[in-house]
Amino acid sequence: MGLFRKMRSMLHDDWCSKCQSEMDVVHKQLYALPTQRVGQYRQQDDPAYYKKNLVPVEKKAQIPTGMYACGMHVYRCPQCGHRAVKLTVFLPVRDQEKTEQLLYFEDGEMDDFIWR
Amino acid sequence: MDKKIQKINYIYLLCYIFVPLMVVSAGFLLGYYLFHDGGVGAVVCFMGFPLVAILWWSFGGKLLYKQHCKKLIRELDERGFSRNQTFDGRGSTVVVDLNRGELALVFFWNPFDHYILPAKRIERAWVDDGAAGAGFLRGSSRVSFLFLIDGVKIRVDTFTSNKRWRMDSDYILTGISKADVMVDVLNQAKERSA
Repeated sequence: MGLFRKMRSMLHDDWCSKCQSEMDVVHKQLYALPTQRVGQYRQQDDPAYYKKNLVPVEKKAQIPTGMYACGMHVYRCPQCGHRAVKLTVFLPVRDQEKTEQLLYFEDGEMDDFIWR
Repeated sequence: MDKKIQKINYIYLLCYIFVPLMVVSAGFLLGYYLFHDGGVGAVVCFMGFPLVAILWWSFGGKLLYKQHCKKLIRELDERGFSRNQTFDGRGSTVVVDLNRGELALVFFWNPFDHYILPAKRIERAWVDDGAAGAGFLRGSSRVSFLFLIDGVKIRVDTFTSNKRWRMDSDYILTGISKADVMVDVLNQAKERSA
């Protein structure tokens, strides 16, 4: 995970990249990522990969042991209307999470997946 | 199928340690008595023999173990064993067939033997996260999964380190997750075992 992205996530991951306003979370969803297992994680940056492989789940307990999960946050800026999607790929381990990758999509790459 | 599990072949263990030592000693003796005045023979005896011993300790055991693992995999494939989950730990390899409810085991210190058993012989399987210490010192240097077969405890490490890591470190969490997966798989195999 890049240092800049990590810092951004820790500090202002919900700030609009256009007008720097605080964005609203308009949608949240947890997904299982059955193609990624512990010990065999391969970094993926292509939104098409996530569109193809994410399986929506209600809660973390539904994700089998050793399978990666993905948290999706959809943001919308109340000032300029800019939208962004943050994907957090993590490994659920008992009551903790090992974050593997943070992805930001700000050009509507995930829109057809979210609003289908 | 019903033979008792032997994790360590003590004859092999002693040979592993002492045969190279004997080779080194033999080299020194030969060098001393036959090449007392030096020369190529002395170099071979005083350096070549110890080199062979060091190579054995460094690579020989591992090569032998890997060869046996490959042999086991070939045998499993011939028997129609579905390798649903394989875990290569330090010192042992566990292969599980969830369809038949069987598991196969091979140990580093017993590389001439392997075991293919019905998983119903597993009495218990659990995870040891190795957590020790209190407060901010709480951490671990080893995570493993363990299981009991016929009273023999088998420990397979999923993470080891020469330093202690915090319990929320990526290494420890990955080790715990791998161990949890293996315990789940062993329990599933046990349930499906005839």
